[in-house]
Amino acid sequence: MTPIERFAAYGRGEPIDRLPCVPIVGNTAARVIGVKVSEFRGNGKLIADAQVAAYRRFGYDVIRVFTDLYTQAEAMGARVHYPDDETAYLQAPAIDSADRIGTLRPADPHRDGNLPHHLEAMERTVQAVGHEAVVTGALTGPFTTASFLIGTETLVRLALKNPAAVHQLCGIALEASLAYAEAILDAGCTPSVTDAMCSSKVISPKQFREFGFPYLKKLIGYINSRGRAVTLHICGKTRGIWEAMADTGAACLSIDNDADLAEAKTKVGDRVRLMGNVPPSETMLQGTTAEVRQATRRVIAQAHDNPKGFVVASGCSLPVETPFANIDAMLDAVREVGWPIRTEALA
Amino acid sequence: MTNQTLSDSPADLYQSLSDAVVGMDEDGVRALATAAVERGVDAYTAIDRGLVDGMSRAGVLFETEEYFIPELLLCADAMYAGLDILRPHIVRASTRARQRVVIGVVEGDTHDIGKNLVKIMLDASGFEVIDLGRDVPPQRFVDEAVAQGAEVIALSTLMTTTMDAMAEVVTLLRDAGLRDRFRVVVGGGPISQNFSDRIGADGYSASAPGAVKLVKQLAGEAA
Repeated sequence: MTPIERFAAYGRGEPIDRLPCVPIVGNTAARVIGVKVSEFRGNGKLIADAQVAAYRRFGYDVIRVFTDLYTQAEAMGARVHYPDDETAYLQAPAIDSADRIGTLRPADPHRDGNLPHHLEAMERTVQAVGHEAVVTGALTGPFTTASFLIGTETLVRLALKNPAAVHQLCGIALEASLAYAEAILDAGCTPSVTDAMCSSKVISPKQFREFGFPYLKKLIGYINSRGRAVTLHICGKTRGIWEAMADTGAACLSIDNDADLAEAKTKVGDRVRLMGNVPPSETMLQGTTAEVRQATRRVIAQAHDNPKGFVVASGCSLPVETPFANIDAMLDAVREVGWPIRTEALA
Repeated sequence: MTNQTLSDSPADLYQSLSDAVVGMDEDGVRALATAAVERGVDAYTAIDRGLVDGMSRAGVLFETEEYFIPELLLCADAMYAGLDILRPHIVRASTRARQRVVIGVVEGDTHDIGKNLVKIMLDASGFEVIDLGRDVPPQRFVDEAVAQGAEVIALSTLMTTTMDAMAEVVTLLRDAGLRDRFRVVVGGGPISQNFSDRIGADGYSASAPGAVKLVKQLAGEAA
């Protein structure tokens, strides 16, 4: 089955050959075609070539066109550092205080920063393999983009001292996210939303409901209105916000390895599909193939009977240097378990 | 704001300082610290039983997930506001020199909230913290630890790409024959006890309050 056939049959409750499986490959794709990570900068064709080659090499079900979380913030003035051969990181936020929020303008996805190159990558990937595989484009959530625009510590202090400023900033970030979402959809791709800073390792569930949720709901509502289902990923601990995450309209929640899949299943499994959560660093990067297979069987055991379905995945994007053998081991384990799932195969 | 009046006893004042830190009341802490100075209350005790006690309570609330990073940062702002006022008035020298910790985010990463939380909690626990900031090259940890006579080197990262730089700090110490002089602790999103063991670090903690317990234990060994 192709990934699209597999998802379609799985969604209808028809027989499939195996569970969908998504080791979330980002810059590891550079290793597949032997280029440096920094070569992706400003080169949509190369990103597409790498993502398509990685998909063909490993045979997973969802391609996510992604290099880092900063593309939208960068297009609005944040400074991003590009190491020679590692994932980019935030060098400095666009502004440093609340009184500068008014100077920010939502990015134009067809003109600003690296957004046009990412859109090109999405378009090219869809052209190449969109008929068989699900191609998504990474979209950073408004609260997280806001944190890159003003600095996380400044943002979370404002959340308590000047909530109106946080809403003003998130409003601008939302406008930028909506424009980018529209462009991603027009490129034939489905936005895949990550809102890392909404993690309960950073802000409280109450703060999430106030500053993260309303903007995610509008963003995901828009994508849904264009006929696409959305996967929402929030890093780290999320137990206290699963209900709210489901209320955003997301069809699938991508659960980090800091959270318990079996518990998520009980709490929100009747409302959303779940995806996760083999540890990206401890297991996928540093573990043996045997450990990867064991962890893969474990997550299947925890969530294969989720009422709204389950996608075997890494808990977050894979580290660049994740061994190919470990990515293969994850898919092999899913193939061996096969379908229908026999619990004895999960021991 | 607080209801502190000049008629309260020093013990009440310490309690009010502690409460104001927990309550994220920076202005209240300033007022109370100023009152403490004006009344000639022992500054060292006011810091210890007031500000530090408050920060320690905030740490417990963080561990039990009643407080999150925003609250902890505002508690720390309040604590530091009080320290600025009270520190110049410490009359008696503390009983012994404060143990030193060199802390930083390893090269290749600029995520520093985790490191900052550990720094705040170490500060509040009586350590002298030398903060090298973020994106710090491995050799600088070694050089600073030697120059500052530190007991502990604390390394933080959120990025898997920078984990190797942590291992390099340990290697550099070993190659320079300095490994036994320092305790090395590691932390951050992708780090685990297994990783800590593998690179030959002395300890790992998953949380900022846990890191303080770890450093206290290890600094005791190093001393």
